[in-house]
Amino acid sequence: MKDLSDVTKILSALTSVAAVSGEEYKLFDAIGSFFEEKSERDALNSVIFETNGDAEVSFLLDAHIDQIGFVVTDITEGGFVKVGAVGGIDARTLCATDVMIHAEGGDVFGVVTSVPPHLSGKNEGEAAEVTDIMIDIGMDKDNAEKAVSRGDTVSFRYECRDLLNDRIVSPSLDNRAGAAVLIRVYQLLKSACPAAKVRYQFSSQEEAGMRGAKPASFGVKADEAIVVDVSFSTAPNVDKLHAGELGKGPMICISPVVEKSISDGLINVAKLNNIDFQTEICSGGTGTNADVISISGMGIKTGLVSVPLRNMHTFSEVIYKGDVELCAQLIAEYIKRRVCSDD
Amino acid sequence: MIDVLKELCLLNGISGREDAVREYIISKIKSFDDCKYYVDNLGNLIVEKKGKKRAKNKVMLDAHMDEVGFMITDIDPDGFLKFSCVGGIDPSVLPAQRVNVNGKVGAIGVKPVHLLEKSEKNKYDEIEKMYIDIGASSKEEAAKYVSPGDGCFFESDFVEFGDALVKSKALDDRLGCAILLDLLGTESEYDFVCTFSVQEEVGARGASVLCAQVEPDYAIVVETTTACDIDGVSHDKQVCRLSDGPVVSFMDRGAIYDREIYKTAFSIAKENGIPVQTKTLVAGGNNSSSILTSHKGVRTCAVSVPCRYLHSPACVINKNDIKPTVELIKLLVKKLCDD
Repeated sequence: MKDLSDVTKILSALTSVAAVSGEEYKLFDAIGSFFEEKSERDALNSVIFETNGDAEVSFLLDAHIDQIGFVVTDITEGGFVKVGAVGGIDARTLCATDVMIHAEGGDVFGVVTSVPPHLSGKNEGEAAEVTDIMIDIGMDKDNAEKAVSRGDTVSFRYECRDLLNDRIVSPSLDNRAGAAVLIRVYQLLKSACPAAKVRYQFSSQEEAGMRGAKPASFGVKADEAIVVDVSFSTAPNVDKLHAGELGKGPMICISPVVEKSISDGLINVAKLNNIDFQTEICSGGTGTNADVISISGMGIKTGLVSVPLRNMHTFSEVIYKGDVELCAQLIAEYIKRRVCSDD
Repeated sequence: MIDVLKELCLLNGISGREDAVREYIISKIKSFDDCKYYVDNLGNLIVEKKGKKRAKNKVMLDAHMDEVGFMITDIDPDGFLKFSCVGGIDPSVLPAQRVNVNGKVGAIGVKPVHLLEKSEKNKYDEIEKMYIDIGASSKEEAAKYVSPGDGCFFESDFVEFGDALVKSKALDDRLGCAILLDLLGTESEYDFVCTFSVQEEVGARGASVLCAQVEPDYAIVVETTTACDIDGVSHDKQVCRLSDGPVVSFMDRGAIYDREIYKTAFSIAKENGIPVQTKTLVAGGNNSSSILTSHKGVRTCAVSVPCRYLHSPACVINKNDIKPTVELIKLLVKKLCDD
């Protein structure tokens, strides 16, 4: 059994804070607590830590830290809160869920309203659009307007809980799992490869259209970049064609937009070190920050490693903590091999 | 009463598995000197309260102990749990929801929105297609913790929020249980009987055997009832409104209520300045459907606390509706005992 205590500590710190796209700064303290280096924050709320080893080859590691959620758009006559989606929200997962509105004067609890079909006039089985839903904060209009403002972000209010087998269920594992991989790589390299020159980039606004990683990577002189994100895992309604498997290790992406030599190198390192891995084939873009980092500035050779995840973009995303550890070991070994070994 | 309500709501008890709730209520009743109780063949808890005087008419108050939830039906080869709903649960409140089975946390799986076919978008899966993920990696592993027939519950906490609102699972009908406990713990002028019944959510079954035992002249069913008082729903379909006081029904899907008691309830409320409302739609049903026609037929009324998002993990009530409900019930009991 792998020792997952470090990963557990990191994931629990990162999932305990909500940071909907645009409010990534809420996570800076939680991330910073794992780094000795000083952080650098860019104009769009990405936060970066750099280790300046004397290696000739340098790396950019990227994971986005924002999460899907909502933004308050209006308050109704009855004091209910209307919202717009931030990121790809599945409207089918909203009725009767607990949310937290992150208002200026403090968080405000609410429940997403749920109207049974015989009272809503909707057809049986038909879900509302996100713009149709309302949040019940239990206040009349006057009090609601005092407590909540347009533009406040809203997140799902569900805790990170343990399932069997070192699997966990939590909101925001997309992509706190990836952020945890970066922190873990940092921990692994610190003692094993102090010469490594790595830029740990925790980027913003991926869920809003990969907007943070591009400016964060602009002008960065890295020889290679590796993006860490989550990807689909198999489940009863998700077939193998689209997905990896929970517990089978890092998903190494092979795609036209991803640097082939990095994909091959990662696979090679996985084999040499007996690290379980799986490949993910994307015939076009990857839908991750790899798509934008690879063409930022004058272009960066970019690879992509993903943590398999179930129920993506819901408040019950499920991962296996061991996959996070293995992603980190794979990337750390890859960097070590490039930096520290002579072959 | 809020503390008792919280403890009651956080207990798990789908229909037929009300044991934890019944034990909790019994533990409370044991400290009431003027109450005698017994548990019948189906698990209904029947409590006789001694008042200062003997009542002319025997009045029975009923609240059900069970809540809606799930029953595990099968474990698939990969360790995912298949389930059926116990009681009426709309599929819309299920995707991604957290549940608890034998103390293990699980989540109802959802196909990622990115992978949905056009025909699947904005359409709820049928419950038969849904499954629970407790993290097991095989059927054998899941079977160590879960067996077909095990009860499964919404994993949802008790939150006080907004202007006097409460959100929890199982407010239907632990709130009724809490109200009855409150009445049993208070000195009463007349004798009366309280029943904490089983299996309401699967067709008001427990209540159907109560009256052969209690032989009441009148029954008052103490419940929660659907309030859909949210913007965009027409007045008639709002059914009733939070913070407008107890709901006394004239008719629902299961009962045509006694006209005289209905009117009496309203006049008592008026005389005593208690807010009261009725339902604006013939909808829902409760144990009245069984009680009404059981034994030799029982004159019945239902007094309910309005509740939003009924039968979901996040039922919502207004605390300010509880006190007038208790007051109205007390006065109504007195009146019916005395009449």
